[in-house]
Amino acid sequence: MVQKRVLIFAEQVNGELQPIGLELLGSGRLLADKLGATLSALVLGSNIAHLASTLIGHGADEVFVADHPELAQYRTLPYRRVMTDLIKSWPEPPHTILLGSTTTGRDLAPRLAAHLETGLTADCTDLDIGPFEYSNSKDPSKSGLFRDCLYAIRPSFGESLKARILGPWKNPQMATVRPGVMVPLPWDGSRRGEVFQVPVQLDPSDLSLQIVETVRNLSQTTDLTRAEVIVSGGYGLGSPEGFELMQQLAACFPNSAVGSSRKAVDSGWIPYAHQVGQTGKTVRPQIYIACGISGAIQHRVGMDKSRTIIAINKDSSAPIFKFAHYGIVGDLYQVVPEMIRQLQQNQSQ
Amino acid sequence: MESFVLIKQVPDQSSKAGINSDGTIDRAKAKRMLNPFDRYALEAALQTKRQHGARVTAITMGPPPAIEVLYEAIAHGVDRGFLMTDRRLAASDTLATAYTLAQTVRYAGSPDLIFCGLQTTDGDTAQVGPQLAERLGIPQVTYCEAFEIRDGILLARRAIEGGSQTVTVPLPVLVTVANSAQRLAYPTLRGAQRVQRLMRDEAARAEVIQIINLDDVGADPERCGLKGSPTIVAATEKVGEIGGNCQIFQGQSVPSLVKSLTEAASISSYVGAR
Ligand SMILES: Cc1cc2nc3c(=O)[nH]c(=O)nc-3n(C[C@H](O)[C@H](O)[C@H](O)COP(=O)(O)OP(=O)(O)OC[C@H]3O[C@@H](n4cnc5c(N)ncnc54)[C@H](O)[C@@H]3O)c2cc1C
Ligand SMILES: Cc1cc2nc3c(=O)[nH]c(=O)nc-3n(C[C@H](O)[C@H](O)[C@H](O)COP(=O)(O)OP(=O)(O)OC[C@H]3O[C@@H](n4cnc5c(N)ncnc54)[C@H](O)[C@@H]3O)c2cc1C
Repeated sequence: MVQKRVLIFAEQVNGELQPIGLELLGSGRLLADKLGATLSALVLGSNIAHLASTLIGHGADEVFVADHPELAQYRTLPYRRVMTDLIKSWPEPPHTILLGSTTTGRDLAPRLAAHLETGLTADCTDLDIGPFEYSNSKDPSKSGLFRDCLYAIRPSFGESLKARILGPWKNPQMATVRPGVMVPLPWDGSRRGEVFQVPVQLDPSDLSLQIVETVRNLSQTTDLTRAEVIVSGGYGLGSPEGFELMQQLAACFPNSAVGSSRKAVDSGWIPYAHQVGQTGKTVRPQIYIACGISGAIQHRVGMDKSRTIIAINKDSSAPIFKFAHYGIVGDLYQVVPEMIRQLQQNQSQ
Repeated sequence: MESFVLIKQVPDQSSKAGINSDGTIDRAKAKRMLNPFDRYALEAALQTKRQHGARVTAITMGPPPAIEVLYEAIAHGVDRGFLMTDRRLAASDTLATAYTLAQTVRYAGSPDLIFCGLQTTDGDTAQVGPQLAERLGIPQVTYCEAFEIRDGILLARRAIEGGSQTVTVPLPVLVTVANSAQRLAYPTLRGAQRVQRLMRDEAARAEVIQIINLDDVGADPERCGLKGSPTIVAATEKVGEIGGNCQIFQGQSVPSLVKSLTEAASISSYVGAR
């Protein structure tokens, strides 16, 4: 019997695995178990052999490592080449391939799908396996009952709807997955898995694009996806100075970051890197404190998986109170300074 | 220099017209507009015209009313347009769309640069650009924020997580333009007058905007529309309200409001020095 696979693409930057890879493993594990498939992880880079054990500890049954100096930094064509060569070397294509909908995943996945002539669902927030019955007189060749299909579920039309996209006619069934949504499995050092070296054969034409410079200026306070506590400010702050107050509240927590709504970003009060929501980041901190944010659907989808949501808003009918866990109805300029005072007092005790 | 820009007509989701109560779109009734992301692609293409005298061609695929976005592009200074329209294109997913657009691009010429928007506001996949580049066998630069061209080489800055990256790549290349790039300027008076003339005079229009179908570009209908699409939208459901049991504190003095909240939400366990 040929091996059925669920393949996930694990991104690394400077030899460090990105959180999305572990999130994909968490989600991929559920799918692979339902399918009775092997969960495979693929990582490309230079001097990255050490990453395999991390991927196994977080759920992979097997890890494919492509280690080559030209793969050190992500570039479309070399990565596309190595991945398609690997997939074509297998007797059967994987059942499912998952990549993150990061700037890298969204650059790579469509090229891969086009090369493999297969379907790709963008920016999913939920995945499952199940049956599907289809009939359409306009294309009878597609009709039939299909078992074990990938259900790729993604928000659409300004996040007001969820669309379920299916493509059971051809494997691999591919999807990109929004970062911050899927939950990684806890590390388990007793897990065992196989590690394979992937042969790397590049064509000179793959190397026509050259990276001159890569700048990453992520300060701790903007790395929203890793923060335990996020303090977010919205249009209700009224001015850019309001974010100094957000910063002061965030500073009460050791592992914290400042977020914002789009309206605050669009007003030029804070850089885009801080934006939470449909067109910003998806976050799931332990605590999300929303100050002067109304709770529009496009904001909500970026943060409603947070463990505890606290809203501070002067309008008791603001939509945010419909899904926050705790709320204070009041002026944030009175509430937040008092909160900082009490927390600092707390800390010094 | 030849620059192509790919633009799509999308429903205007900010207007209530044509938006059903369940959030789906009645495309016949909905107001139509140029995909907002494509405005940045248009500006990028026009930059090559201003700086290098490029001829700029706009291409759109869609039902007949999509010609409106070509008029809009011409008003901004685009030289000519192609409307790919064919009933057999209904239900195209991104793979089928990219195939059809690749055939259309080949029919229209051999561009040095192809500009796409980052994504659309309806399908919202950001997949068509890279898939088109794969079909055409050329490199791509996605999330492009700024660029210049020197001696046949594109030097581009692209946005990445928490920063940016500068790359060089020889032409031809496909570029998807980020919405942090240069904004589109206003239409020019000359452009607007040209559009008015084209709308009045069918013969003049036909010289500037070609309306073409799958047969014109030698596309295989089996690879287009529903038949050529490996994915379908199988179901949509409305996103429900969640929670609804928010514990709200109000009407007390601010210090006691804050105290009640921090206790109820057990915030204290997260407090500490940075
Ligand atoms: C395609 C699309 C994508 C989008 N993507 C995003 C996204 O990624 N992220 C995002 O956030 N939005 C996004 N939006 C925008 C979204 O629809 C809302 O417009 C936005 O979230 C509103 O921001 P806000 O809550 O800060 O502002 P508002 O809606 O104006 O709310 C301000 C709130 O502050 C309160 N307030 C005012 N003064 C005070 C005070 N002194 N004390 C306490 N409360 C006060 C008010 O009662 C009000 O509730 C998107 C929209 C579209 C169409
Ligand atoms: C709710 C919903 C969800 C969908 N999800 C998926 C999915 O997950 N996977 C999938 O394969 N299909 C999906 N589709 C179908 C998809 O919308 C269509 O394939 C569409 O033709 C192109 O995709 P897009 O609008 O996402 O374009 P994008 O890939 O977001 O567009 C990027 C750029 O490509 C260019 N471009 C795109 N379309 C055209 C055009 N018609 N003419 C000229 N230039 C164009 C523009 O420059 C545009 O800015 C979905 C459709 C709907 C309604």
